[in-house]
Amino acid sequence: MNPLLEIRNLAVAYGDVQALWDVSLNVEEGTIVSVLGANGAGKSTLMRTISGLMRPRSGEILFEGKVFSGKRPQQITAAGICHVPEGRGLFSQLTVQENLELGAYLPSVRGYFAQSLERVFELFPKLKERRHQQANSLSGGEQQMVAIGRAIMARPKLLILDEPSLGLSPIIVRQMFELIEALNRQGVTILIVEQNIRQALKIATRAYVLHTGRVAMEGRAEDLLANPEIQKAYMGTLD
Amino acid sequence: MWQFLSLGLLAELTVNGILFGAMYGVAAVGLSLIFGTMRIIFIAQGTIIILGAYLVYWLFTLGGIDPYLSLLLVVPAAFIAGAGVYQALFRKAAAISDKNTSLLIAVGLMFLVQNTMSYAWTPNPKSIVTGYTALGVEILNMRLSFTRLMSMVIAFAATGAVVVFLRRTLVGKAVRAASENMQAAMLMGIDPHRVNAIAFAIGFALAGAAGVALATTYPFDPYFGFVFALKALIALALGGIGNVVGALVGGLALGLIESYSAFFISGGWADAISYGVFLLVLMFRPEGLFVRSIKKA
Repeated sequence: MNPLLEIRNLAVAYGDVQALWDVSLNVEEGTIVSVLGANGAGKSTLMRTISGLMRPRSGEILFEGKVFSGKRPQQITAAGICHVPEGRGLFSQLTVQENLELGAYLPSVRGYFAQSLERVFELFPKLKERRHQQANSLSGGEQQMVAIGRAIMARPKLLILDEPSLGLSPIIVRQMFELIEALNRQGVTILIVEQNIRQALKIATRAYVLHTGRVAMEGRAEDLLANPEIQKAYMGTLD
Repeated sequence: MWQFLSLGLLAELTVNGILFGAMYGVAAVGLSLIFGTMRIIFIAQGTIIILGAYLVYWLFTLGGIDPYLSLLLVVPAAFIAGAGVYQALFRKAAAISDKNTSLLIAVGLMFLVQNTMSYAWTPNPKSIVTGYTALGVEILNMRLSFTRLMSMVIAFAATGAVVVFLRRTLVGKAVRAASENMQAAMLMGIDPHRVNAIAFAIGFALAGAAGVALATTYPFDPYFGFVFALKALIALALGGIGNVVGALVGGLALGLIESYSAFFISGGWADAISYGVFLLVLMFRPEGLFVRSIKKA
């Protein structure tokens, strides 16, 4: 069977500055795939290209076997790829509920609005209490819940999370990873970019390491977790 | 002039300031919406208002259509024209991150419309005189001009309609979302061209309503539009950019400033004072007078 998401020899550039070279990556349906790497390695660029915010210079992105590279973000979202961007991208002046409503903006998912909203409130009971509050009045963890909840409203087949743990306290980060695993058990395939490498490898099936815009390493997450090179380069001296 | 000052006169200055300020306000609301999604100051807004005024003038003199009745024609026509102008002129430029191109298109559009109007209707000021132009309404011992009062009603109703649209409809929420974070909005599946076109359509519809308000109350000429856009810009700065209700309040505040300064200082100083206030506000409260604090981007 074909992977849900298949990236072949992707090259992306900002003007004259090339950010990704020859990146190939597969995400099998039902798995969690982590993309790791230092700042500036091209992780966010890769995610932005998948969701259509950037156009590739060359290479192909296939989703469910169909070519999506070069398509517009709304077509990609409509196909079932939902991207929670780095920094969450919340509409901070809008209420929690309005943010969630916009998650179900596309006509193809609007019909499921009530059902999706219930699903989000079940996952995040806190958001139900705060649904009429302006999004920027929430704590960082709650804002991240809104961002993920908003993506769930679009009924994603593939959920892209770009640094969901950024700026959150360790307890909230642990809850966040538990939640990601729970979503995955519900059938959502997940592609996650993380600085929190140990946690990201623990929940993942496969992982890719980007280094200055190229895939430097790839493999089963547990193998990478045990790899001394990874431990040395990205995990410091912890255990 | 202090010897002439009475409570009644002060009230009259205030009321006149509010009546005229409401028109600045409605122009500023249009600027605010277009700025929201497009990130440009749509400098042609005032000129489009004047175009609306000429349209009303035309319908009145040629077709005998009552100016207030012509709202029903002018506002929908302006709405469609706004979406059309976006698709024809701005669509390509909106896609590039450098906003100067869009701004230059707006400047070009302003001069084109200005000069076309000057050719079509001559540069001489026009005004509409109807049976009710001289009509007055007696409120609390003050004689208010009926047409000015109507202009204020139109301005408030138009702003109110825009606020309801932005708060209550999904498309309105999409416009607000896109104004705040276009890229995140695109990830929701919101088409940037659609929200831009809607912002333009509503901006033009507001200009149409303001055109009716202006045509019935003051004489106008083709070149008044640029000054009007500048005044709307001041109102926008007072109210805080990207805040629809603030834009209307900013317009009212500017109307009051002009009305008071024309009386207490001198008519000739009114404009200079407006621009002075504009600079002072931008220097000391760049987020606007009616916004609680600077919000991070």
